[in-house]
Amino acid sequence: MSKEKVLSAQEKRILFEINGEKNTLYNKKNRAFDLLKHVQGEKPVIDIERGLYFTRSFKTTEGQPLILRWAKALKYYAEHAKVYIDDNQLIIGRIGRPGRYGILYPELDGDILGDAIKQLPERETSPFNIDPNDAKIISEEIAPYWKGKTFHEDLIKALTPKTAALTYNQDKDFTSRFIVNETASFRSSIQWVHDYKIVLQKGFSGIRREMEKKLNELDEFSPVDQTEKKPFIDAVITVCDAIVLWAHRHAKLAGQLAAKEYNTVRKAELEKIAKICWQVPEYPARNFREAVQSQWFTQMFSRVEQKTGTVISNGRMDQYLYPFYKNDIEKSLITDDDVQEIFDCMWVAMSQYIDLYISSAGGAFNEGYAHWEAVTVGGQTSDGNDAVNDLTYILLKSKREFPLNYPDLAARIHTRSSQRYLAEVAETIKEGSGFPKLINDEEVIPLLLSKGADFEDAYDYSVSGCAECRMPNRDTYTSPNAYINFAAALEMTIYNGHMLKYGDELIGLKTGDAETFTDFDEFFAAYLRQQKNFLKHAFIQQHEIIRLRAKHFASPLGSALHKLCRDTLTDLHQPHIKGGIDLGYFEFIGYATVIDSLAAIKKIVFEEKKATLNQVKKAMQHNFTGYELLRQRLVNAPKYGNNDHYADEIGRTLDREALLFTRQYSKELGINLDLRYVPFTSHVPFGKVVSATPNGRLAWTPLSDGSSASQGADLYGPTAVLLSNFATKNYQYHERAARLLNVKLSPACVQGESGTQKLVQFIEAWRDLKLWHIQFNVINQDTLIAAQRNPENYRNLLVRIAGYSAYFTELSVDLQNDIIARTQNEAI
Amino acid sequence: MVFNIQHYSLHDGPGIRTIIFFKGCPLRCRWCCNPESQNHYPEISYDEKRCLGNEICSECQKVCENNAIMFSSEGKAIIQRDKCSNCMKCIAECPAKAYKKEGIEYTADELLDIVEQDSIFYRGGNGGLTVSGGEPLIHGQFLIDLLKAAKKLRLSTAMETCGYADYSILKQTAEYLDTILFDIKSLDNFKHIIYTGKSNQVILNNFESLCNDFPHLHKHVRTPVIPGFNNSIEDLQKIEDYLKDKPAVTYEKLSYHRFGVGKYKTLGRKYPMDD
Ligand code: SF4
Ligand code: SF4
Repeated sequence: MSKEKVLSAQEKRILFEINGEKNTLYNKKNRAFDLLKHVQGEKPVIDIERGLYFTRSFKTTEGQPLILRWAKALKYYAEHAKVYIDDNQLIIGRIGRPGRYGILYPELDGDILGDAIKQLPERETSPFNIDPNDAKIISEEIAPYWKGKTFHEDLIKALTPKTAALTYNQDKDFTSRFIVNETASFRSSIQWVHDYKIVLQKGFSGIRREMEKKLNELDEFSPVDQTEKKPFIDAVITVCDAIVLWAHRHAKLAGQLAAKEYNTVRKAELEKIAKICWQVPEYPARNFREAVQSQWFTQMFSRVEQKTGTVISNGRMDQYLYPFYKNDIEKSLITDDDVQEIFDCMWVAMSQYIDLYISSAGGAFNEGYAHWEAVTVGGQTSDGNDAVNDLTYILLKSKREFPLNYPDLAARIHTRSSQRYLAEVAETIKEGSGFPKLINDEEVIPLLLSKGADFEDAYDYSVSGCAECRMPNRDTYTSPNAYINFAAALEMTIYNGHMLKYGDELIGLKTGDAETFTDFDEFFAAYLRQQKNFLKHAFIQQHEIIRLRAKHFASPLGSALHKLCRDTLTDLHQPHIKGGIDLGYFEFIGYATVIDSLAAIKKIVFEEKKATLNQVKKAMQHNFTGYELLRQRLVNAPKYGNNDHYADEIGRTLDREALLFTRQYSKELGINLDLRYVPFTSHVPFGKVVSATPNGRLAWTPLSDGSSASQGADLYGPTAVLLSNFATKNYQYHERAARLLNVKLSPACVQGESGTQKLVQFIEAWRDLKLWHIQFNVINQDTLIAAQRNPENYRNLLVRIAGYSAYFTELSVDLQNDIIARTQNEAI
Repeated sequence: MVFNIQHYSLHDGPGIRTIIFFKGCPLRCRWCCNPESQNHYPEISYDEKRCLGNEICSECQKVCENNAIMFSSEGKAIIQRDKCSNCMKCIAECPAKAYKKEGIEYTADELLDIVEQDSIFYRGGNGGLTVSGGEPLIHGQFLIDLLKAAKKLRLSTAMETCGYADYSILKQTAEYLDTILFDIKSLDNFKHIIYTGKSNQVILNNFESLCNDFPHLHKHVRTPVIPGFNNSIEDLQKIEDYLKDKPAVTYEKLSYHRFGVGKYKTLGRKYPMDD
């Protein structure tokens, strides 16, 4: 019955700052807190080195095998890029200028680079600054070279007019139409995880030796060995040399700085840094600190190699670092506080790299400088035991105590997860900044097995990117996927193949005028035809993307770190790698928007007959102005997210129809192209092309996100949200991937020890329902509203968006409103 | 007669629970925050904020055969309660769902079906069914049958009660309960009569008998702390002293809030605490 306002730890921290009081929440601050102050809140700057050195190198290697060109470009970068060491940092190796930086990948969409550069500083979503001299180099040296050579341009040419009409606007830059949206031209790979363990155990010298051996085994008369395998080996050797060279340049610099340093403490630190960089990543790591530095060089160099969607993931850090931690602790070489400080230093370094999207679609899909460099904790070991260890708890503690939205932390949950682990996960969620997201072993592992994985690989999966999962050394599919706006399909069903935004242009199928439908089944069938048509073009797109990517991209470093690539001497971006499992997916965007619209039409038009479909159409054309009475009827029809059979049954049919399509056609593509419900922030730009919908949603406002209910439509609490999610899944088909689910809780709901316990019980129920993903925002609605009004006081307010957390004040107003509108669940 | 079913309840018994609120209560506590639970017959509630106003809508007025609906100067619908026959016709017509029927008849099976849908949330923390009200005990045999059936489904059961009931009914329900949340509002009978409308004698006798007959049943005693009624230190101390040697008892004070204020208005009644 009591109802004082309860604040999350994050909210308390911000209030302390606003009131200028001394913050007592973090009593033990390490150096990373100071490092963070220097980088937080700055607008990122573009660093052109990567784009420039790749361009210069590519100019000199034309005609050579692609993978070799890529490796040589990396070598050229390693030789020429500036190296520096941030004051007081422990983890070194940056791929851009001090502070927050973004880098260029002109091989993707360099054709639009010249124009985009001019708009970047003012763009509403994820803006960047650029130095005028650099802008000049971009438009005079970098962009001209790539004109006519980029993947983006080739893809446009390859698509048939019908597919292209759903994909691009017919403007100069072929901007996205946000209907059947391709994401392959703003990243060269989907989310990915490397096998970091091999680097820690063997070093790049070990990988190089393996390749030299293979080189000697090649058949000198075989055309395939000589033209395909040999370049692969040469490329891997080159890339091993490149990363070692890059590390050595840092070692040298650290030595020079140490010689000049007066402060004896820092001098010793720099000498130690030099020693570490002479050792790793060339040779195996000998202790925890070397292991972290070795992993760091590897992931940074991977970011130079290519733009991996959502930033390269970190894999199971609590697993592959554990042997080093354990050894150091046993020998008293390190303390838990040291470990946390090293981690925190790494998180700051991570936060300096900003994933730069040149295209406005890329920026809008990944608002707030999105990033998902997922660090996975918990789960099971490859022999099926609980994997939680002391490092797991240090990583969770660091997330609670260090106020930064890096790294993206993902906690694996399974039926034997211990009470302590679940409670610490819940405590971390309660901190309020949205971490960790949870991934369910009980859903993921059976699906991986059903797709041909062995138990040991499946148990050992890493969370990758936003909500996906990868088996390093087993997964081999890297092609980015289509994001499909099914709310647009619904609009086309009402307007007989047209959309209000695009006027007379016929984009979809002619499925009949609104006045001709006599019952709901007919209307639903018409919608499903539009849906199927979108899927058809998404799959055509994917077919071309798979074909073209192999000609445009290579990944010598990624291949060096993949057992199947090393064994078969095949580049990771090639469509078929022997022994690999190809896990791709396409996105269903606007799920709840479509379900709710169909349910409203069924109920109000065909059952209660309170309005004709034509009247609904008229109301939609007027964006419901003058039709509030009808809009209210539609708004109050059954909605997804309330454990209401009426709406959920429609949702299950939509899901099933999409699954059946991919069951039939993904085989032709030679991959698993699974159904997924993960929007990033795309439900906002997608909403901007969709006019008013029959669920009462107004024109151009955001669509529903992921598999969550429409904003504010879930009225019966989070248990009903979970049950609806369960009820709309078709568990009999395995052609499914992640469903992203956002739940917002008020801090009062999870207050105290009993609140923690009840959050744990809620998580257990989620796990037992076999839902894939869940994430929480524990925040008071009025905090968000206050932050929108007074952004300067709330610069460091973190909120969960879609698989990642971002600073609330760095989001566009649309997305801010969307987050405010997500239903908040109060304790009852 | 049920007026509400609440999912994801965290504060009325162990674990995550589903609460069935019964309609009808023998007491009239002035601070009552669920006035829609007090009468044992179905009532219509009306939320003015939802009404679209008579410029765009007058659907309810059109269907009302008793001419019970008029419009305020702001254009909002108003039910004249003296003319209203609780026929419920306006509910279906209102596009904005401004009207709601408070009080729906269910069979025990229907209720348990709904409760069982949430069963996956009960497992970890002994969550389950809580019956509340109103006063569930006035539903006598129906309540006993419901709890008995719930036990057959192996659900954890809890009941919130004001304790004002026939002991034989209380005793029979207690057989099927894991927890009882029992209100003791004041030991001062005079004040009790003024603020709740009834003497506390029956309540205290029932509590004594309960302690004798069910020494192992967990009895969670609660006192809503109401300014001007029982918020003095002595009042509360007396209750704590009284409970000292009772078996299997836990105790909690609940602070007063005015959540109920708006609800009185939706039912066309006056908030008694403002007297
Ligand atoms: S319940 Fe019946 S009588 Fe009362 S206002 Fe509604 S329609 Fe009129
Ligand atoms: S039907 Fe509903 S919205 Fe219309 S006037 Fe009556 S109460 Fe208001």
